[in-house]
Amino acid sequence: MILEAFVFLTILLGFFGIIFKKNLVMKIISMDVMSTGVIAYYVVLAAREGLFTPIVADAQKGAYADPVPQAVILTEIVIGLSIQALMLTGVMKLAQNNPTLETSEIEKSDMP
Amino acid sequence: MTNLTLLWIALPFLIGFLIYLLPRLDRPLALFGALVSVAYAAQLFIARSPINLRLLDHFGVSLLLDPLAGFFILTNGLVTAAVILYCWGSNKTPFFYAQTLILHGSVNAALACTDFISLYVALEVLGIATFLLIVYPRSDRAIWVGLRYLFVSNVALLFYLVGAVLVYKAHHSFDFVGLRGAPPEAVALIFLGLLVKGGIFVSGLWLPLTHSESESPVSALMSGVVVKAAVLPLVRCALLLEEIDPIVRIFGVGTAVLGVFYAVFEKDTKRILAFHTVSQLGFILAAPEVGGFYALTHGLVKAALFLIAGVLPSRNLKELQSQPMPTPLWIALAIASFSISGFPLLSGFGAKVLTMENLLPWQVIGMNIAALGTAISFAKFIFLPHKRQEATEGLALPSQSRSPLSVGFWAAMSLLLGGLVVASVVYYDAYSLENIVKPLATIALGWLLYWVIFRQLAIKLPRVLEEFDHLIGFMSLSLILLFWMALA
Repeated sequence: MILEAFVFLTILLGFFGIIFKKNLVMKIISMDVMSTGVIAYYVVLAAREGLFTPIVADAQKGAYADPVPQAVILTEIVIGLSIQALMLTGVMKLAQNNPTLETSEIEKSDMP
Repeated sequence: MTNLTLLWIALPFLIGFLIYLLPRLDRPLALFGALVSVAYAAQLFIARSPINLRLLDHFGVSLLLDPLAGFFILTNGLVTAAVILYCWGSNKTPFFYAQTLILHGSVNAALACTDFISLYVALEVLGIATFLLIVYPRSDRAIWVGLRYLFVSNVALLFYLVGAVLVYKAHHSFDFVGLRGAPPEAVALIFLGLLVKGGIFVSGLWLPLTHSESESPVSALMSGVVVKAAVLPLVRCALLLEEIDPIVRIFGVGTAVLGVFYAVFEKDTKRILAFHTVSQLGFILAAPEVGGFYALTHGLVKAALFLIAGVLPSRNLKELQSQPMPTPLWIALAIASFSISGFPLLSGFGAKVLTMENLLPWQVIGMNIAALGTAISFAKFIFLPHKRQEATEGLALPSQSRSPLSVGFWAAMSLLLGGLVVASVVYYDAYSLENIVKPLATIALGWLLYWVIFRQLAIKLPRVLEEFDHLIGFMSLSLILLFWMALA
């Protein structure tokens, strides 16, 4: 329960960071915080019924964790990583003409 | 059949990568990939029996291919083919065609799947491919518009993921049907993701800037098919679960009215079209049972209109009114505008009648207002001046009037507009006197209002809601709204 509360707090903090941080790089980092929260939520839910890795072995140690959410969230981690990489590449290009990288300034110059 | 389906899903990605290896064959290969989808969709209509695939166990991938998906897949194939034909004579690099095909493949995957995780993966791939297409010109503005798109869609999909795991928590499965019995917050979170991705209602206000600032072929792809990848899952959820149905219909009416409200005041051609997309998606959602046909006609028309807007000498309506366009171009523009206003003999008419017949009583007023708004906003296009080709030859339209009106442009137009005419026979029951009179009256009233009021009107609506921070902030408000709707 407490774990879940902290996970949701992470997601919320990330979300508010995206809104309230002015710098584009900070916004991207906030998005990463938010996605870390989401990943943690999957892991917490997977471990509801047991903690052990579900690997077939001779001796059963205890209740297994649910492998499905963990497998699913691996995809998200990979996708999240690639999106971050793409975004930061875009930010590098933008930084040449907008050194402060404040979104309000970029919008002023790039919104018709 | 199973193998064929799997091959069809994988093929666009394979061709996309193959284009990198054989850059000389980029255009034919890309066109082949799009036409395969058209053939596959045709086969879905002929077979009529839905294909239901369940790969792995109950938590694995599940696909459903029925005539409803067939309409969307056909749209995807035709629009992609038209865009490739349009770009045939341009100097686009193989990278562009490869990304187009990967986008095509991810849209196909999103249309076929019926579980939340496959949908998530398809939507993310689609987001990345769209981003790469938007930033293709590599100007600062293109990069900013692309970043903004990727940011908004990624944040929405993070909410969506939380919703997906809540569904899993309730049912140990990610299937769409799991939405029944899932907690209301799961419905709210998943719908937030889909509404943002689909560009619907206030969550969709990222769409006008993105669609209007991209290059025309990319705008055509985005408005024609990309947003529909998130709309079909909404339609499917509404059809599967009767408790979801009212939510989807309410959003349908809301977005239909909101979109035309912006569109009638707009003076920029591409922004009118983009706001109009927001509105037309509402027609698809307002009557989920018949949304497929509407999606097909809207996809064809909107792609054609964006491609035409790309070769017009200016984007500003004021300048266009003083600068006549060549008559053939005007005819294409008029056919597309007539179809989307619901004029008989074109498929937009059948689709509108079909949608109007399937509305619930409380939706009728809203949708009629939206139809009227459509007629008003397209009167702006229909009444643009035009001149014969030889007359404009000597005038001040040097490079633009000649080069883009190439064979490729007309091939794309004949594909899209021909599709409109052919598709109009799908629903020939619509041709009764009452059905014909009503759209004509709507169009006449719309034109009247255009000449009397909107032609002179110069109100510029504030764009504050389209600023980046507000787009993200509005997600939290939409989330609260959706939560109460799901709870009710």
